[in-house]
Amino acid sequence: MKKNMTSKERVMNALNGLPVDRTPVSNPTSVATVELMDLVGAPFPDACRNPELNAQLAATGYTELGFDSIAPYFSIIQESSALGCEMQWEQKDNWPTVRMSNPIWKSINDIQIPPNFLDHPDNLAIINSIKILKRQFGNEVAIIGKTMGPWTLAYHVFGVETFLLLSIDDPKMTMECLIKLKEISNLFGQAQIDAGADILTYPDHATGDLVSGEYYKKFLLEIHQEAAEELNVPLILHICGHTLDRLDYISENNMAAFHFDSRNDPLKAMEIANNRIKLVGNINNPVTLYSKNTEDVKIEVEKCLEAGVQLIAPECAIPLATKLENLLEIPKTVKEWTIRNNG
Amino acid sequence: MPIVNEGILEEMKHIANPSELKHIQEIYEKTDPLMQEIAYALITGNNQKVDELTKDSLDNGYSANTIMDDGLIAGMAIVGIKFRDNIIFVPEVLISARAMKAGMAHIEPILSESDIPPIGTVIMGTVKGDLHDIGKNLCIMMLRGAGFVVHDLGVDVKEIEFIDAIQKHDAKILGMSALLTTTMPNMGRVIEAFEDEGLREKVSIMVGGAPVTQEFADDMGADGYGKDAIDCVELAKELANK
Repeated sequence: MKKNMTSKERVMNALNGLPVDRTPVSNPTSVATVELMDLVGAPFPDACRNPELNAQLAATGYTELGFDSIAPYFSIIQESSALGCEMQWEQKDNWPTVRMSNPIWKSINDIQIPPNFLDHPDNLAIINSIKILKRQFGNEVAIIGKTMGPWTLAYHVFGVETFLLLSIDDPKMTMECLIKLKEISNLFGQAQIDAGADILTYPDHATGDLVSGEYYKKFLLEIHQEAAEELNVPLILHICGHTLDRLDYISENNMAAFHFDSRNDPLKAMEIANNRIKLVGNINNPVTLYSKNTEDVKIEVEKCLEAGVQLIAPECAIPLATKLENLLEIPKTVKEWTIRNNG
Repeated sequence: MPIVNEGILEEMKHIANPSELKHIQEIYEKTDPLMQEIAYALITGNNQKVDELTKDSLDNGYSANTIMDDGLIAGMAIVGIKFRDNIIFVPEVLISARAMKAGMAHIEPILSESDIPPIGTVIMGTVKGDLHDIGKNLCIMMLRGAGFVVHDLGVDVKEIEFIDAIQKHDAKILGMSALLTTTMPNMGRVIEAFEDEGLREKVSIMVGGAPVTQEFADDMGADGYGKDAIDCVELAKELANK
């Protein structure tokens, strides 16, 4: 094993189950904050829509925070905007979002990928940002792209309630919708790989707060296995909320890693995953990173390290007003813990 | 009166807590077979059947209150327990909610014409930046079923809109929802806004939403946290009696 790895080597090795000089600190979801936006002059929503600003803000995850990866897709809405969803782009201090109460599609027959889908400015913002970041940091840092899975896309295009009701009223149709929507996930994911993404986060919010673990098996396991085969970079599945009840199934999806929420005990999660899938996480956002202090962050990071979590990360996109000192504490603790434990 | 509906008897097997089971048994022992049939149709999400049975019951002289309490709310009580205990999840709750709505469509016009005073007035909304509303809508449906007047401000609600609504409707309870960890801090901002306006003491604030916890609610200075719609109703009753 190399003694001093680059951040990229560290992340890629961890995802591939190879030795690392220390546990990497990663960000499969956004670590952008208002403070960082001000620092580099790249505020929301422009930083979500302009590739240069996007790259400037994304780079701060590495240059300012010392994380081992850079993730330029801050939100979960870029491809939904390109599909024609009604958007709420918000201001610097708030996240852009899809107005899911006004869904664009009603049935499977409506699912159409626009011919210029990848050329839509909101998709190009990410694709071109990845090209910029690849040029600037490609050898030293892992670039993490992101493509929404079909379950999350279904929430956006059909509306959450409508889609969840469909899953009960017509499971066969639900499955057919997911298969068609997966084409969109693949298309946008592949475009990011072609642009230089080393890894893709694959958010697909079949969370325990909404659906059962059996739903994951019934509707998504096979689709995720196919995605893992079709997109030829390590995939990190991201699902918020309680997921221990479906982690056994998730561990069979052939993806490289699972980005998990702080509501799941890291030790239990590691036991269930049993090295079939790597775990990324799971520092609490709204309480620990947002409103507590560095001592509390340290305790959570060490808990994950003790449990053997392979990549340390905030559990999800962080609140935009999160204090930088709390984010800086994550890599600091990892480095100190490594020295203490490995000499 | 014994419980005769086999579906309801089967559903009761899901209730693990003995005192809770006893409570549910007592509720159903006071109901007649037709009301048990409505409750079971609601639990299984059969909205057409709930619609038909509610109409038939009203035609046969059952009062709107009886149908609501002994049929619809009794059914939702079991749905709530199954949801809380992770036996069912949101899709299954949604079909029950859809069935309840089908029944309430017949009941509500009758109740609104009656002169029974409401338990209290609640302002509900999802905080700024967050457009999720399933949980909030379930809470509203249950609160209305329990006798509260609820004003729904919808999603993406700003601090000032909560304040205006509380003043306009002279409401004593505010319920806020957030589904995203990124928008949860906005709950704290609303509470601060009430403090800044000198209105904090006049309103009880309850919060909920999938990522929200009791610890977070305490940190933000909320008066209560509800894990789910059933909790929300219990909490609102407590706050109304404060």
